[in-house]
Amino acid sequence: MVVDLDKCTGCQACVVACQAENNIPINTKDYFLQRRAYEWIRIERYWEGEYPNVKARFMPVLCQHCENAPCEPVCPVYATYHNEEGLNVQVYNRCVGTRYCINNCPYQVRMFNYWHPNWPHRMENQLNPDVTVRSRGITEKCTFCVQRIRRGEIQVEARAGQRLDDNRIAAGNYDPACVQACPTSALMFGDLNEPNTAIKPYFDDVNNYPGHHEHERETRGYRLLEEMNTRPSVIYLKKVDQYPLADKGAH
Amino acid sequence: MQEGKVLPAAQINRDLLRSILETPRWFWPVVTLLGLIVLVAAITIGVMINTGLGITGLNYKVVWGFFITNFVFWIGISHAGVMLSAILRLAKAEWRRPATRAAEVLTIFSLMTAMIMPIIHTGRPWRILYWAFPYDFARGVWPNIRTPLVWDPSAILTYLTSSTMFVAIALVPDFAVLRDRTTGWPHRIYTLLAMGWEGNPRQWKLQIIAGVLLSALILPVFVSVHSIVSWDFGMAVAIKSWHSTVFAPYFVVGAVHSGVSAVVFAMILLRWAYGWQEYIRHEHIDALGRLLIVVATGWFYFLVMEIVFGIYGLEGDELAVRALQFLPTESGVPYNIWMIVFVGITYFLPVILWLPRAWRRNLWIMSTACISVNVGMWLERYLLFVPGQANKQFLTFTWNDYLPQPAEAIIVGATFAFVSMLMLLFSRVFPLVPLYDIKEGDILKTEIKVGRRTVPATFRED
Amino acid sequence: MASETQPHGGAAHDGSAHDGGAHEHGHFGPEMWVIPESAGLTSDIAEKQRSSSTLFTVVLYAGALLTVLGVIGFVLRLLDGFSDHRVWGFYVAAFAFVFTLTSSAPLAACAFRFTKSHWRRPLSRISELFALVSVVNILLFIPALIALPDILNPLGASNEALDIRRTIWFRVPGGSPEWWQFAGMVGLAVNSLGILWLAAMPDMAQSRSQMTGFRASLYRTLSGRWYGTKRQWQIQKAGLAILGAFYFMLLVFMQFLVVSDFAMSLIPGWKDSILPPFYTVISFQGGLAIILLMAYAMRRWGGYREIIGVAPFWAASKVLLGLTLLHTYHLFAFFITYWYGRLEVEQNILNYLMFDSYLGIFWAQLFFTFFIPFPILVSNHARRLGWGAPLAGIFIIIGLMLFHIRIFAAAFASSDSESLYYFFMLKPIPAATFPDLWDIFIILGAVGIVMLVFRLGMMLLPPISVWEMKEGAMYQRVDTLIRGRYLVLGKPE
Repeated sequence: MVVDLDKCTGCQACVVACQAENNIPINTKDYFLQRRAYEWIRIERYWEGEYPNVKARFMPVLCQHCENAPCEPVCPVYATYHNEEGLNVQVYNRCVGTRYCINNCPYQVRMFNYWHPNWPHRMENQLNPDVTVRSRGITEKCTFCVQRIRRGEIQVEARAGQRLDDNRIAAGNYDPACVQACPTSALMFGDLNEPNTAIKPYFDDVNNYPGHHEHERETRGYRLLEEMNTRPSVIYLKKVDQYPLADKGAH
Repeated sequence: MQEGKVLPAAQINRDLLRSILETPRWFWPVVTLLGLIVLVAAITIGVMINTGLGITGLNYKVVWGFFITNFVFWIGISHAGVMLSAILRLAKAEWRRPATRAAEVLTIFSLMTAMIMPIIHTGRPWRILYWAFPYDFARGVWPNIRTPLVWDPSAILTYLTSSTMFVAIALVPDFAVLRDRTTGWPHRIYTLLAMGWEGNPRQWKLQIIAGVLLSALILPVFVSVHSIVSWDFGMAVAIKSWHSTVFAPYFVVGAVHSGVSAVVFAMILLRWAYGWQEYIRHEHIDALGRLLIVVATGWFYFLVMEIVFGIYGLEGDELAVRALQFLPTESGVPYNIWMIVFVGITYFLPVILWLPRAWRRNLWIMSTACISVNVGMWLERYLLFVPGQANKQFLTFTWNDYLPQPAEAIIVGATFAFVSMLMLLFSRVFPLVPLYDIKEGDILKTEIKVGRRTVPATFRED
Repeated sequence: MASETQPHGGAAHDGSAHDGGAHEHGHFGPEMWVIPESAGLTSDIAEKQRSSSTLFTVVLYAGALLTVLGVIGFVLRLLDGFSDHRVWGFYVAAFAFVFTLTSSAPLAACAFRFTKSHWRRPLSRISELFALVSVVNILLFIPALIALPDILNPLGASNEALDIRRTIWFRVPGGSPEWWQFAGMVGLAVNSLGILWLAAMPDMAQSRSQMTGFRASLYRTLSGRWYGTKRQWQIQKAGLAILGAFYFMLLVFMQFLVVSDFAMSLIPGWKDSILPPFYTVISFQGGLAIILLMAYAMRRWGGYREIIGVAPFWAASKVLLGLTLLHTYHLFAFFITYWYGRLEVEQNILNYLMFDSYLGIFWAQLFFTFFIPFPILVSNHARRLGWGAPLAGIFIIIGLMLFHIRIFAAAFASSDSESLYYFFMLKPIPAATFPDLWDIFIILGAVGIVMLVFRLGMMLLPPISVWEMKEGAMYQRVDTLIRGRYLVLGKPE
C-alpha cells in the first residue's frame, strides 16, 4: 500500500469504511472516556505552527504489514504470523491475550478487545458476513481486508473456471475498504508480485535507496519509523507544501 | 564471645516445633482475616473474568499494568531463597542458618503467586493454559519458542521445581523429628514425608551432597529466571526505555535486593510471633543488613546505568519516555514525584538506616527499612513499565496514560495477604526455621582465645 | 618442607598442599590450609626478597626489555602525530588492558578482607603491589587522552544540530572529559598507593631495623611512627576499610568513564547500558587472574612454597569461576538484546564487533575467556592442584587482551566518516584494523612494564603481608570435633 500524504485531506472516510467493513464495534462515548476506542486505520492529526498561522497535518496510520514485524516473534501461540502472500495476519482463535504484540508494535495499530462487542439490535444485520466478529480478550488489527482479497480470488476463479495462479487476479479486484472509500485516492493498493502496478515504482525506489542513500530517492516515498528496520509494506509519500508556513515550527 | 548460647537439642526441638505442636491464640483469626482478603480478591478475579478486562484501567495504549508489575515484583521476591540458601551455603556464611528455610519457602509461595498474575492478566485464563502448562501436542501446533513469554514459564517452572526439591531435601531430617513427636494421622503423613530417615551417617552424607549439588545447580536457574523475566521487556524494541541491554543483571540484583529485604521482614515477624528470639538473633539480622547494603549499592549502580544510557542516546522517542519519568507534567500522573519517592525509599532511606550497627540491630528500624525497600521496588517496576508504554515512539497522537482501577488494586493487594496466609499455614505444618541446620551450626560453633580476647570461631567442614 | 600428610591419599596433591600443616588426622582438603607458624616469617621473607630466583631475574630483564620495545614503539607512533586519532587505537587498547587488569587488583585485597576470607592472607600484598602500576597508568593515560577525538561535532560543522556524537558528558562544562578523567586517574593512583602504604606499614615498621641501604631509609620514612599500638591498629584497619570502599566506588566510576569515552561513544550508534558493568566484571576477572598468576609464579619458582599454600588457589579459583560465568552472562545479555531487537543500528554494531569485521577475534576471545578456562575452573582436580586457576588465568588474560583490541581499537578505527548517516547507523560497516609493527611493540611494552613494575615492587616491599599472615595464625586452631580433627577459624566482629 502507498499512502500519499499530499492527497490526504483527513476526511476520515477510510476510518468509517473500515469500521463498517470489518465489524469493528461502535466507538461510543464510554469507549473514548476509557481510552479504549479503536480504529484499524486512524487519521493522526498534528498541528504545525502557532495560531493563527497554523496548518493541520494528517497521516493515516494502519497496520504496516512489516516484512520484519516485531509483533510476530513475541507471540507465544503464533496468533500473528506472516502468510505466503506477505500479509501479517492475525488468527483470532489462537490469540490468548498476552498483549505482547501490542507492546512490541511501534506503530500502535494493534488493538485489544477489552469488552465484548455489542451492536444495537437493528444494526446486527449490517455486519459483514465475511468478517469474524471478534470476541473480547483478543488482539485484532488491520488485515488489508483479506476477505476482499479472498473474494476477488474466488470471483476470478469462478469467471475463468480454473485455479488461480499468481498473476491472474487483476488490480482493483481486491482493494481494501479504505482504499475504495478514499475520495482523493490518497491510498493506493496493489500486489507487489505484479510487474506493473501503480505502487511498484515507489517500493522499488525506497528499496533501492535504503537508509544511508535516502536522499538519493527519486520519489517522495519513505517508510514510517524506517530506523526500526521493520520493513513495512506501507510506503508514505511526503507532503510537499505549496504554501509553506512562514514560521517553520516542528511538525 | 559468641552471641546466643548453645542450646540443648531437646530445647531446640521444643522451641522450633512450637509453631506446629501448639496453636497460638492469634493464629486462626489472622489466617481467617487473610483468607477473607484473598476471597474478596478471588471474587474480583471472577468478576473480571466474567465481564472482561474492561474493569481494569488498562487501555488501548497501556496494556501491561498492575498485574505485570506485580508479577515481576513477586518473581523478584522469589530470588531471596536461593540467594540466602544456595549462595550463602556455598560461601559457608554461618549466619545464613535460621533464614534459609523461611527464604526458600517464601521463594516457592511468591513464585506461585507470581504465576497467577500473567494468567489472569490475559483476561481469559483458560486459554493461556494451552502454552504455559503441558501443551496440547496432539494438535501439532507448537508454542513459539522465539518469544520470551515461552521462555518465561519454562524458567519459572524450572525454578519452582528445583526450589521445591531444595526445600524438600532440607526438610527430610526435620520431618523425621516431627514423625517422632506426633501421633495419629499427622504421624502417618510425617512418616511418609520423612522417607525412612534415621539420621545415620550415610543418609546425612547423601542429604548434604544433595544440598550442595542443588545449591550449585540452582544458581544458573536463579540467574536465568529474572534475566528472562527482564527480557520480556528488554526484547521489546518498540518501547524504547525497555530495550536496554543492562536489564538482565539489573533485574537480578534488584530482585535480590527486594527478596532479601522481604526475608528479613518475615524473619522479624516470625521471631515476634513465635518467640524465636534465641534462634533469629540480632546478629543474623545485622549480617543480613550488611549484605543488603552491598546489594542495594550494586542495584543502585545498575539503576544509574539504565538511566544514564537511556538519556545518552539522545533519541527523541526515548527522551519522551524519560521526560515523562523525570520532568514535571502539566496533567496526568506525576511520575516524576513518584520517581523521587521511589529512589528515596528504595536506596537512600534504607541504606542510611542500615549503616549504623546499632540501627541494624534495632528490629523496628530494620522492619521500616525492609518495608520501604519493597514498596520502592514495587514502584520501580511500575515506573519502568508504564511510562514507556504511555509515551511510545514518535506517534505522539496516540500517547496515553494509565490509571489503575479498584479491581486491580484489590487483586494486587490480596497477593500480599495470599503469600502471608500460605506462609502461616506452612508454619503450622512444617518448621520454618530448620532444626538440623541450627543444631549443626551449634555444633560447629566454638571460640578462639587471642590474647585476652575471645573471638567467635567455627569448625570448617570439608 | 613440612611433613606431607594427606588423609585423602597423596594422589590428588602435588605434595605441597599442606605445607606447614603437621596435622596427622584431619579431614583436610586444600581448603583446610593452616598458616605456617609466624615466628620467623619477617626475616624469612626478607631473606627470600634478597635471593632472587632465576625466573625472577629473567622476569626483571624481560620486563625491562619489553618496556624499552614499548617505548620505541610509542616514540615511533608519536611521529604520526595526534591529528589522525585512528592510528592510536591499539595504543589505547594497550593502555586500557593495563588499566583494566591492574587497577582492580588492589581491590581484591580489600574485598576479601571485607568478607573476612581466611585464604586471602598470602594474596593480599601481591594484589596491593599492583597499586604501583597505577603510576604507570597515569603516564599511559596522557597520550590516550590526547588521542581521544573531541567529544563534540565530529564533522566539524558549525550548526549545533550536528553535534551528534553521543557522549556521557552531556556538555558538562570545564574541560570534560580530559581533565575530569585525568583527575580521576590520579585519584585512583593516590587512593591505591594509600591502600598499599597503610597495608604495608606494619611490615615495613617491623623490618626497618633489619634492612640496610636504600630500603632501610625508605621504610623508616614510610613507617616512621608506627609502633603497633592498639590505636594505630584501629586507625589502620578503619583506614583500609574506608580507602577500600572509596577505591571501589572511584574505580567503578573510572571504568564507566573510560569504557564509555574511549569505546562506546566512539562507535556510532552504540548505546549499550551493560557495557560499564560488563567492563567492571571483566576487570575484576582479569585482576584476580593476574594476582593468581603472580602468586603461582612466586609459589612455584620464587621460593614461597611454604607461605603461599594451595588454599588461596582453591578458594580464589571459585571466585574466578564465578566471575568467568558473570563475564559470559553479561556478554550474552548484551548479545541477545541486540540480536533479538533486529534494529538496523544494533545489527550493524553486532556485525562490526562480533560477526563480521571482528569475527575471528571475537571467537578467539570467547574461547580464551570462557570455553577454555571454564572446564579448568570447574574441575576440582585442577583446582586442588593449585595450577588450575593460574592456567585459566593465563587464558583469561590473553582473552582480555583480545577483548580490548576488539572494543577499543575497533572504536578508534570506526570513529570517523564523511557521511552523516554513518553517525547514526554505523553503515557501511567499517573493516577490522590490524596492528602495525609499532602497535605490536606498544602492546608488548604494556605487558613488559607491568612485569617490570611488579618485580621492582617485589624487591622494594615485602611481597607477603606478614601482619595478615600472623593475624591469620592467631585466628586459627586445629581442634577435635567428635572423631575428626578440623580447622577452627575465628571471625572477629
